[in-house]
Amino acid sequence: MAGAPTTRRPPASGVPEDAAPGTAEDAALGTAEDAGDAEDAGPGARRGAATGGTAGRRGAAVRWGTRAASLLAAAGLWQALTAADARLWLRFDRLPTLGEIAERFAGQLTTPVYYLDLVQSLIRILTGFTLAAVAGVTVGVLIARSRRAGDVLLPLLEAVRPIPAIALVPIAILLFPADEQGIVFITFTAAFFPVMVSTRHAVRALPTLWEDAVRTLGGSRRHVLWNVVLPGTLPGVFGGLSVGMGVAWICVISAEMISGEFGVGYRTWHAYTVVDYPGVIVGMVTIGVLGWLTSAVIELIGRRVTRWLPRAEGSRR
Amino acid sequence: MTSLSQRDALTPGRPARRVMRRATAGGLPGAGGAGLAFRLEGAGLGYGRDAVLRDVELDVAPGEVMVVVGASGSGKSTLLRALAGLLPSREGRILAGGEQVTGPSADRAMVFQDDGLLPWRSVRRNVELPLSIRGVPRRERERAAEEWIERVGLADAADRLPRELSGGMRQRVQLARALVGVPRAVLMDEPFGALDAQTRADMQRLLLDVLRDTSATVVFVTHDVDEALLLADRVAVLGRTGVRAVLETPDGEKGTDAAARANLRERILEEL
Repeated sequence: MAGAPTTRRPPASGVPEDAAPGTAEDAALGTAEDAGDAEDAGPGARRGAATGGTAGRRGAAVRWGTRAASLLAAAGLWQALTAADARLWLRFDRLPTLGEIAERFAGQLTTPVYYLDLVQSLIRILTGFTLAAVAGVTVGVLIARSRRAGDVLLPLLEAVRPIPAIALVPIAILLFPADEQGIVFITFTAAFFPVMVSTRHAVRALPTLWEDAVRTLGGSRRHVLWNVVLPGTLPGVFGGLSVGMGVAWICVISAEMISGEFGVGYRTWHAYTVVDYPGVIVGMVTIGVLGWLTSAVIELIGRRVTRWLPRAEGSRR
Repeated sequence: MTSLSQRDALTPGRPARRVMRRATAGGLPGAGGAGLAFRLEGAGLGYGRDAVLRDVELDVAPGEVMVVVGASGSGKSTLLRALAGLLPSREGRILAGGEQVTGPSADRAMVFQDDGLLPWRSVRRNVELPLSIRGVPRRERERAAEEWIERVGLADAADRLPRELSGGMRQRVQLARALVGVPRAVLMDEPFGALDAQTRADMQRLLLDVLRDTSATVVFVTHDVDEALLLADRVAVLGRTGVRAVLETPDGEKGTDAAARANLRERILEEL
């Protein structure tokens, strides 16, 4: 079974990764990795498994080498272009070299402001995201299970949903007494819809058999909710949470850039306005790392609570 | 579930089901009681606008094993779902224990063909489910589940998830889960239909064995005539126009009245 194509991917991990914020470098990295995984599932992996032993290990080493080389090549290209102040229509002369970035990063790591910004952004996103997760699951279940709730809430939700959360910034500024609450509100709105929509779909897609089973064992609607609906929708819910976390980052950073006084997004934009270009890159990398960390946490929890899903043996993702 | 030692004394073959023994059921609160009688009076059943069955007349006696046979699409499962209370009748009446069926009840446990287990619960927790729904205290619940898991031969697999079990094992769990709550009736919807021949024979033997100790009425749906003959006290033959015939199976140990059985088999096949 080793290396066999993953035919059934659990929804929890079937989340579009591109929803997570990231730098251009991240995107390039993602593609390189995906290509590697496609190779895993292909005949190459099977050949490796068949020959086994040292050949397989050498194959793995070669692939890891390729991956590292790809990263290093991208970094080298950046360095070459910026160090040479290349102006090939794209103006690399304005961008900082790796050395400048590293120096700035090391400097930032010793200042308390860097950590204050980081904590501020994290508090905002975790508040907005947690509220969105609770509200999204509740509303999603409600409108999927109750026709009346659907009639009352759905038109409203469908009317608001097409508006990108970031377009609500003016409203948020007018509505809330402080910027802080406005930013959390934007984050909440951004994360709410993916969670709500995927919860609703997951509830609808539940096999009726499980509900029938619980009801014929004497279960009431409440029992069905706790014993079937909530556990049974977890894979779909975690898909929504993963996407929600991605858009929540996009929105918290954008909102900070527009109206914040602290936070990684604010600091990154501020660095740009004071012509501190290495600082901009440091901010970008910080955002990328935070986004990746929070998504990984969601993914990890999601996998733990959906261990009952049928999975292909030896699947890595 | 009277006692585990009795099991060893059982002989294979069809038990004399009409000699009923009361289930003691380990003294679960609100559980047990005599088998439930069912009566369908001119019942019309169906989904949406399509009638699957019309004018169904059927009596199921308390404590008997009634096997409903019919071809695919004859409405066997529809009939069973109606008895379970999962499907309201559109015409006529459906009575369970003399009262109109208005919805599902713990009195009428159901065993589904496949995948009726909650996949995120271990074997143990699946079997405990009806008891936890009823609010049975934890320790008592665990003891009763343990006993039933052992009874169906899954003591070594109690902590596994359904996806880690074979089809036959999953049906054992369903059987234990249905019976642990000591229902007054067990409704079985082709429970062994998806199993291979050997496993199916094992399961039939297990079913006969466990039913011996309960007084529950059993309504068992199958398309397999031999399965019907093996398990049934009476066989109801379902055709497109409703219940065509209700036939009594010969009494006594299996094989003692081969001629009568062969004869009955012929009659069922004719009715189908």
